[in-house]
Amino acid sequence: MLLEARDLDVGYPVAGAGLFSAARILPIVHGVNLTLEPGQTLGIVGESGCGKSTLGRALLRLTMPTGGQVLWQGQDMASFSASDLRRKRAEMQIIFQDPLAALDPRMTLGKIVSRPLATFAPELSKAERLARAVKALEEVGLSEDFARRYPHEISGGQAQRVGIARALIGRPKMMVCDEPVSALDVSIQAQVINLLMDLQERMGLALVFISHNLAVVRHISHQVMVMCLGHVVEVAPKTDFYAGPLHPYSQALMEAVPEPDPVREKGRRGTALTGELPSVLNPPKGCVFATRCPKAQALCHAERPVLRSFGDRQAACHFVESPT
Amino acid sequence: MPLTPTTAELLSVTDLTVRFSQPQGEVVAVDRVSFGLAPGEVLGIVGESGSGKSQILFSLMGLLAGNGKAGGQAVFQGQDLLAMTPDALDRVRGAHLSMIFQDPMTSLNPYMRVGDQLAEGLIVHKRMTKAQAWEAAVAMLDRVRIPDAKRRARAYPHEFSGGMRQRVMIAMALLARPAILLADEPTTALDVTIQAQVLDLMAELAREIGTAVILVTHDLGVVARMADRVIVLYGGRVMEEGRAEEMFASPRHPYTKGLLAATPRLADALEARLGTIPGTPRSGGAMLAGCPFAPRCTQKQAVCETQPALVTRGSRQLACHLEAL
Ligand SMILES: Nc1ncnc2c1ncn2[C@@H]1O[C@H](COP(=O)(O)OP(=O)(O)OP(=O)(O)O)[C@@H](O)[C@H]1O
Ligand SMILES: [Mg+2]
Repeated sequence: MLLEARDLDVGYPVAGAGLFSAARILPIVHGVNLTLEPGQTLGIVGESGCGKSTLGRALLRLTMPTGGQVLWQGQDMASFSASDLRRKRAEMQIIFQDPLAALDPRMTLGKIVSRPLATFAPELSKAERLARAVKALEEVGLSEDFARRYPHEISGGQAQRVGIARALIGRPKMMVCDEPVSALDVSIQAQVINLLMDLQERMGLALVFISHNLAVVRHISHQVMVMCLGHVVEVAPKTDFYAGPLHPYSQALMEAVPEPDPVREKGRRGTALTGELPSVLNPPKGCVFATRCPKAQALCHAERPVLRSFGDRQAACHFVESPT
Repeated sequence: MPLTPTTAELLSVTDLTVRFSQPQGEVVAVDRVSFGLAPGEVLGIVGESGSGKSQILFSLMGLLAGNGKAGGQAVFQGQDLLAMTPDALDRVRGAHLSMIFQDPMTSLNPYMRVGDQLAEGLIVHKRMTKAQAWEAAVAMLDRVRIPDAKRRARAYPHEFSGGMRQRVMIAMALLARPAILLADEPTTALDVTIQAQVLDLMAELAREIGTAVILVTHDLGVVARMADRVIVLYGGRVMEEGRAEEMFASPRHPYTKGLLAATPRLADALEARLGTIPGTPRSGGAMLAGCPFAPRCTQKQAVCETQPALVTRGSRQLACHLEAL
C-alpha cells in the first residue's frame, strides 16, 4: 500500500471567543479512512467547503492533521524528520486549480520546473537539472522552447502542464490533484485529463483527484469517495458508484450534474434540491445532509450515521438499503 | 442574414462587431454576429474563454470598456440599441433589459439592504410608491425561495450565502418584468446542486413573466438544460446555430463536434478516453481572412484559409467549407 489515512482529523486554529481565551481548533475534516494503491486513482468529490482540499493537503502534511495518522508506504509520516519529509516530497506531489498563480512570474519555465531538484537531487549539475526539466516538459507535451518562456507567455492549459511537469520532476509515486482542470476550457480540460491518465499508465503513478465534477471524476478514477461537510458519506469502486450511488447525497450530486443532452436535461427541470447547506461553524447534530435530504426522518436529525459496509462499498446513512 | 424565426422578433441583431483599440493594434472580439430572439425564447451562447460571449452581452447593454466599440445593429422595439444616446439606452435598459453576472457582488451594493436595492428599480422605472415597491420586492424574494423573505429583505448582501445571493440577483433582474434577461455565466461559481436550483428557478420565472433570455456559458450541460436555441461561438464568430435538441443530436461543425466529444458525461462508456481538440482556444487578435477554427481543425484544407459563409437551412446555420447542412 502506498498511502493510508487512519481516522484522520484536520482543523484550523481560530481565535478564541473572548479576549484572553485560548485559540481553539475549528474541525474541518472528521475521521477519514482511506487507502491508495500504486497506479490507482482515488477521486474525492464534494461541494465547496466540504473539506476536500484540506484533506488533500493533510495527506501530504502540508496541513498538519489534528488527529489520526497518515502512513506513507506503511510508515507513519509523523515519525519522519523534517529533512526526511523534504526528501520524501519528491515522491508525493501536488498540483492546484489555478495553474498560473502557482508559477513564479519572474522565472523561466525551465527554472520553475527544475527548481525542486535542488532539494530532491542536489548532486545534479545545473545543466543536468535543465535537461531533466526539458524532458519533464516534453512528457507533458510542451516542446523544448517552453523552457525559455515566462509564465505570462503561456495559456492556462499550458500553465497546468507546466505545473504537472514540475510535479513529475522528482519522479513521484503519487500526485494529489486539487481541482486541476476546473479553471480550464473544455477542450483543454480534456487534454489535461488524458495527459494525467497517460502518465499514470506510463509511470504507475497513483493519483488523488479532488474535484467537484462527477463526470470528470468518472473518467479518471478507480475508486470514488464522497465528502459532505467534512465527513465521508460514501466510498465505492467506480463501476458500482456510477451504476447507482447508495447515499442520498451522492444521488443528489449525480442528479444535479448538467449533461450535454437537452432531452434529458429538460425532463429533469424542477428536481433540484431545496434547503440550505449548514455552516461548518454550526454543523448539525445528526446527519450532515439531513437539512437537504429528501428522505430525511426524525432519526437523521437526531443521530449521525456511521459508515457501514455493503460489499465493496461503504455508505453513512441510516436508511441505505443493501445493493442487490 | 440573421436567422428569422416564425414569430415576430423581439430583438434582431445584425452583423454585430466589437473592436477594441490597443497600443499593439486592434482586437476584434466579436466578428459580424447575427441572431434573432423571439419573445419568451431562451437563446444559449456557448464558447470557450475569449470567444467573445460576454462582449456580445456588454455591447447590447452599453457596457463595453472605454477602448471598445460596437458596430452593426441591434434592433429592439424598432430602435437600434447600438445607436442610442446613453440616456435613451438607460431608459430602455431600466424598463426592458436586465443583466445578471457570474459574481452577484458586482451588481449588489454591499452597503444597501437587499429589499431597498430591489425596490429602487421599481420606484425609478415603474413609478411605484416606496411602500408598493417594498411589498413587491418582498414578494419577489419569497418567490425566489429566500426563507423568511420579509425579515431577510432588511439584511445586507454579505448576510446571504452564494446560492441565495444569486437568487436575489435573479429576483432583482426579473422584478421589473423585463422583456429580455441577459445572463453571463450566472451559475459558474456555484456548486452543482445549487446551480441546478438556480437554473430551474430562472427558467420557471422567465416563463412565468414571459421574459426572453440570452444565456452565455461555457458549459454545454447548462445550455442543454436551459436553451431552446444555441449559438456556438469561436474566435468571435458564429460557427453553428440551431435548435438545442437538433444541434446536440447532430452537430455539424467540427468545433461543435469536438466540444461535445471533449465534454465528460455520466453517460459515457466507463473506459472511454475523452475526445480532444489540439491547440488552445483563439482569443482576441486582428480580423481574420479565414475560418478562425482552422488552426485547430483536424479536417482543415486549403479552402479554410478563406472565410466560410454562414449557410442557413431551416432552423440551422453553419459556417464551414467542409460540412454541409
Ligand atoms: N478592454 C479590452 N481591450 C482589449 N481586448 C479586450 C477587452 N475586453 C475584452 N477583450 C478581448 O475580447 C475577447 C473576447 O472577450 P470576452 O470577454 O467576450 O470572452 P468570453 O467569451 O466572455 O470569455 P470567458 O469565457 O473567459 O468569459 C478576448 O480576447 C478579450 O481579451
Ligand atoms: Mg465572459
